[in-house]
Amino acid sequence: MLIEQLINGITLGSIYAIVALGFTLVFGVLGIINMAHGEIFMFGAFIGVMITSSLKAPLWVAFAGAIVITAIMGYMLERFALRPLRHKQGVSHLAPLISTIGVSILLENLSHHLFGAGNHPFRASFAEINFQIGSITVYLVQIVIFVISIILMLTLSFWLGKTKAGKALRATAENLETASLLGVDTKRTITMTVIIASAMGGIAGILVGMAFNSVTPQMGLSMGLKGLAIIILGGMGSVRGAMAGGLILGLAETFIVVYGDSGYRDAIAFLAIIIILLIRPQGLFGQKIST
Amino acid sequence: MIAELINPYYLQVASFMLINIILGISVYITLSTGQLSLANAGFMGIGAYTSALLTIHFELPIVVGIIAGALVAAICGILIGIPTLRLQGVYLAIVTLGFGEVIRVVFVNWETLTNGSVGISGIPHIGREILSTLQGFGFNPSMLGLQNNQFIFLSIFTLLLLVTIFIIWFFRRQHSSRVGRAFAAIKLDEKAAESMGINITYYKVLAFAQGALVAGFAGAMYAHILAYISPADFAYHRAVEILIFVVFGGSEVIWGPVFGAFFLTLMPEVLRFISEYRYMIYGLIIIIMMAVRPQGLIDVNMLNWFKRKRVKGGHKHGAGNQKGM
Amino acid sequence: MVLEIKKVCKNFGGLSALTDVTFSINQGEIFGLIGPNGAGKTTMFNLITSMFIPTSGEILFNNENINGLKSHVITEKGICRTFQNIRLFPQMTAAENVMVGEHCRSNAGVLRSVFRTKSQRQEETKIRETAEELLEFVGLSDYSEVVSENLAYGQQRRLEIARALASRPELLLLDEPAAGMNETETSDLFDLIKKIQSKDITVLLIEHDMPLVMKLCDRIAVLNFGKKIAEGTPEEIQNHPDVIEAYLGKEEDELYA
Repeated sequence: MLIEQLINGITLGSIYAIVALGFTLVFGVLGIINMAHGEIFMFGAFIGVMITSSLKAPLWVAFAGAIVITAIMGYMLERFALRPLRHKQGVSHLAPLISTIGVSILLENLSHHLFGAGNHPFRASFAEINFQIGSITVYLVQIVIFVISIILMLTLSFWLGKTKAGKALRATAENLETASLLGVDTKRTITMTVIIASAMGGIAGILVGMAFNSVTPQMGLSMGLKGLAIIILGGMGSVRGAMAGGLILGLAETFIVVYGDSGYRDAIAFLAIIIILLIRPQGLFGQKIST
Repeated sequence: MIAELINPYYLQVASFMLINIILGISVYITLSTGQLSLANAGFMGIGAYTSALLTIHFELPIVVGIIAGALVAAICGILIGIPTLRLQGVYLAIVTLGFGEVIRVVFVNWETLTNGSVGISGIPHIGREILSTLQGFGFNPSMLGLQNNQFIFLSIFTLLLLVTIFIIWFFRRQHSSRVGRAFAAIKLDEKAAESMGINITYYKVLAFAQGALVAGFAGAMYAHILAYISPADFAYHRAVEILIFVVFGGSEVIWGPVFGAFFLTLMPEVLRFISEYRYMIYGLIIIIMMAVRPQGLIDVNMLNWFKRKRVKGGHKHGAGNQKGM
Repeated sequence: MVLEIKKVCKNFGGLSALTDVTFSINQGEIFGLIGPNGAGKTTMFNLITSMFIPTSGEILFNNENINGLKSHVITEKGICRTFQNIRLFPQMTAAENVMVGEHCRSNAGVLRSVFRTKSQRQEETKIRETAEELLEFVGLSDYSEVVSENLAYGQQRRLEIARALASRPELLLLDEPAAGMNETETSDLFDLIKKIQSKDITVLLIEHDMPLVMKLCDRIAVLNFGKKIAEGTPEEIQNHPDVIEAYLGKEEDELYA
């Protein structure tokens, strides 16, 4: 029982970590909280539903489709909601936050029109496959989610730490002006960051669809708010913090459902934010973006 | 003659418009010290639930309920404000957003008190209450040539209009005073303001509490006009909607949120075909405004231009002129 | 003594910005604080106005320890400052900027402000009059309704002084008031600071313009790498070997920079 819950918690937590990574990358580089990230994530989930159930295509096509579409959405977000505000005189730091809130409600309501307000089931062909290890049941879906998350996190860490583009991104996060003096094409780096973050959101969307077998237009908001909670918990702009924060929240939510009041599940994230900001405002791993 | 013009439906829309104006002002007040609060939908909810529960369970008069609702919201504002004020800008916005969500979750889950996500119905209706009080004095709407229904909605509208005018008057006066100058100074440069002897903690908490008070008041009025409230009324979407009034209308001067709430409440009513796409249009408005005119439609320059047209060489008062978001 | 700095140290992380600095300022004098860039002069201002807390040591104002008081309380006690990189309220008019400076010498709260009681109206008239007087004092009376970000650089510097004077300080801290000024403006500034002194206000001045400092100051302290290397009258400072070395050394550094 305990171990099963632990597995559930880790599965949920690894998805949360992926969502939070999208937030943290954008914050690290741009210093902006992207309130539309949750909605881009939700679009990824819907693309997954469309491809697997309407087109009856295999899962990897769904992933590819979601990555492409959400990457394009990321580009559009950068181009139309963020870039016009950059380097503009007399614009406060709140402007990009508000602008992305605009994108988020646009996307949420667009999805109402495109996909309907209802609940869409997400059928993975292997949804029912499970293993019995002693008294413990482990679903294949959980393993797939966990493995994909780990691969994604490792790839991202490797990319940030070892590749030229990744180093450029870290330099930009450290100091935009210095990076640009050192010859980093900061404009391209910024665009790339938002695209990568959005594509990760798209992947997370499909993972959540698989985990809960359900996709709704509202899931963007709730996941977006949780992603925010996680990066505040882990430290804004910290990659390690996003991973750890995601796991902590996933486990905490799973255990409160089992041992406490399931109704307050969604409140944990926010109570965590409020407490962490009062006690340790920089978050658990508070520093600039790092591998 | 008048009786035919008074359409309860229009009055209802106009009343909600006034409530939205008050909510817009509540965000403007907090923002006039440079703090963005996304918790005002939560404060509105606190006001609404407090007043609804007091009037239902303790049969208190509506007036007492509304005042209590506003005060409880203000106290929550102070409690939230004091610890969060060391946070700046974006962090503060996120914490207030989180606070709003916590409030909503509490409304949904504290079922014994709040009736959960079903919400509370049968809240005393302020218009009917006014009517029955007046009838106690032997008054009858037919004396004015009105039906009961018309009178009810007319009285709500009139009451809200008076209150809205009072609130605008109050904050305009505050704006052009020592307190208003302190707010503006904090918004423009917190460190410099503190160096000039302004107790920034006090004024920031004050602005936060005033915003919460006004939002709580609007929530309490909302409860007694609709007679039904549920947690969904005070969720994230409400917070964003209120924010849009300010972003669209303008955050520099009080007329900004007033105009924003007026226009954006009226638009879907007048252009019926729009109402289905309302939130998508809201989203677009925000994106476009931030890119093109981040201070909102109405700003200080525009007001000054009007003033100059009216009185050439008039003397300028007040602490205006601070730039928007 | 108006201000006494006693063995003040300030560390940032592991780096020490100020080490055991001690000096004191007498009532009514103009005291100069000079030294090469990065010597810790502005840090000293930030400590006196409590924007930072000293790591150790004491700061006494009129024999009262003011370490750790809030910045606005320090202003109320009678210390006010200007900033090296001008920090006016850019979208307020010149008059409004000065009126903000009078904040801690007035007391109308929300209710009195809104209901415009008689005392509030009198106070408000007083604030406006004082603001106009101060603008005239610094030579900006023609610009009272001009938005401060539209003023010329030298005017902004003088406006900042007017704003600080509005808080009726006993001790005025000026952080490089002559920076970016031409010769005429600097000589106007000289007159202005002398006028401030004649109003019984003690002045502590950070400045790089040596002729101005030597002409203006009664006494001078020199900081280098966070330590005080000399203190005395302008003549003593000009002939002090350590000071000459510090400044010559600095010029050499600049040659290589």
